[in-house]
Amino acid sequence: MEKSNGKTGAVSRRTFLKGVTGAGLTGAAAALTGCKSTGKPAGGTGWTPQQYNVPENWPVQVRGRVPIDPENPSIVRDDKKCILCGQCIEACNKVQSVQGYYELPIKDDITCVNCGQCSLWCPTAAISERDDVDKVITALKDKNLHVIVQTAPATRVAVGEEFGLPPGSIIEGKMVAALKKMGFHGVFDTNFTADLTIMEEGTELVTRVKNALAGGHGGGEGGHHAPMALPQFTSCSPGWVKFCEYFYPDLLEHMSTCKSPQQMLGALAKTYYAKKKGIDPAKIVSVSIMPCTAKKFEAARPEMNSAGIKNGNAKMIDVDYALTTRELAKMMKIFRIDLTTLKDQHYDNIMGEGTGAAVIFGTTGGVMEAAIRSGYFLLTGQNPPELLFNLEPVRGLQGVKKASLNVPGVGELRVAISHGLGNARVLLDQLREDKKNHREPRFHFIEFMSCPGGCIGGGGQPRTALPPSDAVRQARLDSLYTMDAKMYKKRLSHENKEVQQIYTEFLGKPNSELAHQLLHTKYTDRGSQLTAKKKA
Amino acid sequence: MSKAVLVDVTKCYGCGACTVACKLWNGKEYDDAKKPTVGEKAQLTDINWTVVSKHKVTDASGKTVWRFAKKQCLHCEEPACASSCLVGALRKTEEGPVVYYPDLCVGCRYCMIACPFGIPKYEWDKSFPEVSKCQMCSSRLAKNEAPACVSVCPNGVMKFGDSEQILKEARATIASDKRYIKHIYGEKEAGGTAWMYISDQPFEKLGFKTAVKNQSLPEYTWKIINKIPAALVVWGGILTGVYMITNRRNAVKSSKNNENKGGKS
Ligand code: SF4
Ligand code: SF4
Ligand code: SF4
Ligand code: SF4
Repeated sequence: MEKSNGKTGAVSRRTFLKGVTGAGLTGAAAALTGCKSTGKPAGGTGWTPQQYNVPENWPVQVRGRVPIDPENPSIVRDDKKCILCGQCIEACNKVQSVQGYYELPIKDDITCVNCGQCSLWCPTAAISERDDVDKVITALKDKNLHVIVQTAPATRVAVGEEFGLPPGSIIEGKMVAALKKMGFHGVFDTNFTADLTIMEEGTELVTRVKNALAGGHGGGEGGHHAPMALPQFTSCSPGWVKFCEYFYPDLLEHMSTCKSPQQMLGALAKTYYAKKKGIDPAKIVSVSIMPCTAKKFEAARPEMNSAGIKNGNAKMIDVDYALTTRELAKMMKIFRIDLTTLKDQHYDNIMGEGTGAAVIFGTTGGVMEAAIRSGYFLLTGQNPPELLFNLEPVRGLQGVKKASLNVPGVGELRVAISHGLGNARVLLDQLREDKKNHREPRFHFIEFMSCPGGCIGGGGQPRTALPPSDAVRQARLDSLYTMDAKMYKKRLSHENKEVQQIYTEFLGKPNSELAHQLLHTKYTDRGSQLTAKKKA
Repeated sequence: MSKAVLVDVTKCYGCGACTVACKLWNGKEYDDAKKPTVGEKAQLTDINWTVVSKHKVTDASGKTVWRFAKKQCLHCEEPACASSCLVGALRKTEEGPVVYYPDLCVGCRYCMIACPFGIPKYEWDKSFPEVSKCQMCSSRLAKNEAPACVSVCPNGVMKFGDSEQILKEARATIASDKRYIKHIYGEKEAGGTAWMYISDQPFEKLGFKTAVKNQSLPEYTWKIINKIPAALVVWGGILTGVYMITNRRNAVKSSKNNENKGGKS
């Protein structure tokens, strides 16, 4: 290829002069170009990580980063802090099986289940949650507003880490005290609605199981009001729900119609609680403290306005702000509250009671164990035998767990559990295959959690050593089981007094019409927002 | 051997890793609020040598889809910017990059007018400004390394290689896959460029200048220079004087800059 300008100064000047002769500029041009050396070319004064500094196009172990939509309600990234280490891709691809599991070109969406695992893996915290702390503080300062807060099970065994306590420190009472000190008008426990979830989801499961026993076939056909497909999937992990909507929309009939505990409490705060306390629901600001970044996405889902619809204002949403455990710690520090020095306090009445069954929602296998305890009751009318209070096969950090138990009058109830979305695919692909071949369902009930370890390992939890380690997850998880076995007075969701009360005073019975309006939801087929890769 | 890069627009998911790599490698500042590097508002600026622009387009089935186009200097085979430069501060190297030598630059900014793609930018905010544009990582190419942006892309959007090979690949890809439009942007534009693009969307919908003439521009540029009035040349002389002073200060300043690099956050 011919170059109009050569490589060296001399050639350059010659060609240049050739170009300008005839215009009488020769002298001037010579003066301008002078006899200088070229000096250094621009650029190239910085660095890139080592794996990128090799000749040619060799494959490397980690490359690039996950895409993050600037509109993402859960996570944001600060480019200034990104060192292109590729850890976010490791989390998203290897742990969550999201990045790399859809074809390019993309459609009209940056595929993300909002789980926030990338924010835990990112070594510089370039990726973090969308920070809503200021908005909550502003609401707290507004004397016209009634700001309430709920705290998820897993927060109480993790927030202490942000104050120098060892992983798994149980800090429930002090966390409640801190929230009261910050000025929240009601401090409620998501455990309350976790117990409520068990009643709703357990009743739903019993209906599906009885339907199957009566010879009704799964699949929800035949004009049933609610889907009847077995196995039933848990629906409390919003990252998991979005994952299913994206990659397995054909299986959405298996998803329990129950909202997550966060959304149940949100819907009840602006209806039941508002009514009981005589507060204008429009004045209530509902905040949640969650171990999870996907909860921000969930709270912003357009259908999460049941209380609003009930109150005749569709714009009113059930949960106004979902903060992560990390944001809670930050907020305490802004208020200069040293969590460790506070005296324990109790959650407020009406929506503040929780059982051991609820607190273990925060770990993988916990929802299952809680559901089995109360499901047994719902099916047989009797409390479960002692054995079911420590259901070892569903506990622990193994990626996929399976168990079966005999329920009198029903027979064998088979359950499975997975955490980390990569593991979910094992069970989901198997189910798809079984359905294609018209096989009987292997399981009646499957618990899916988006994050490794369940919520205790959620994307909004305190950052840990890199990569997030099982030792920390185990410590947090052990503490939840300790609380269940030793600290909480009750271990059965259906024995929660406030849950019983809300049914007598407000909801009627589980899965009632009102319960359906406020506590159940529907899902969105997101299959058309991406081209899921075919299984290899 | 002249090197080239082929960008496949269909593979980009807009992560912006390439834009960060460019800033890391070239020590450029970040200003996400005013000068974003990814998205609908992303534009090449003095600190953004490369950007990934987002475009809402229509796919074959009539659905709205998003495409991301990674943009930077195209590194023309016969660069108008270099031809227009009175002092040879912009040069086409044999490896392919069109390289800028700040020490030579007198700040006349003819290159900015000459470039058919509007690539060279000027550091208006600085007291001793330079022209600013992608160097195709000339110092990496000298070591046979791919440009920084190419190296970090998780999706292999960009292929780096010998230009004939790259062109062959581009032709083979668009011939074998009917999703691609039958146009390699950069094969003929401005007489051919070292960066070439293939896409499933018409290039004008992705913000590419498609009115660019196919023949090379230097000839055309010479005509302009022929018409430069004498007064401008005198002005050029004055600039040179000013330049000699500023260059000193620049040298002092750039050593200071170097100390700051990496610490900016
Ligand atoms: S939030 Fe989860 S799904 Fe989204 S990019 Fe991060 S790891 Fe991937
Ligand atoms: S993990 Fe963080 S620093 Fe590493 S590439 Fe991803 S965003 Fe950048
Ligand atoms: S080739 Fe180098 S200078 Fe040009 S855009 Fe890529 S990283 Fe930046
Ligand atoms: S690194 Fe690759 S995928 Fe990411 S924005 Fe740049 S070209 Fe697109």
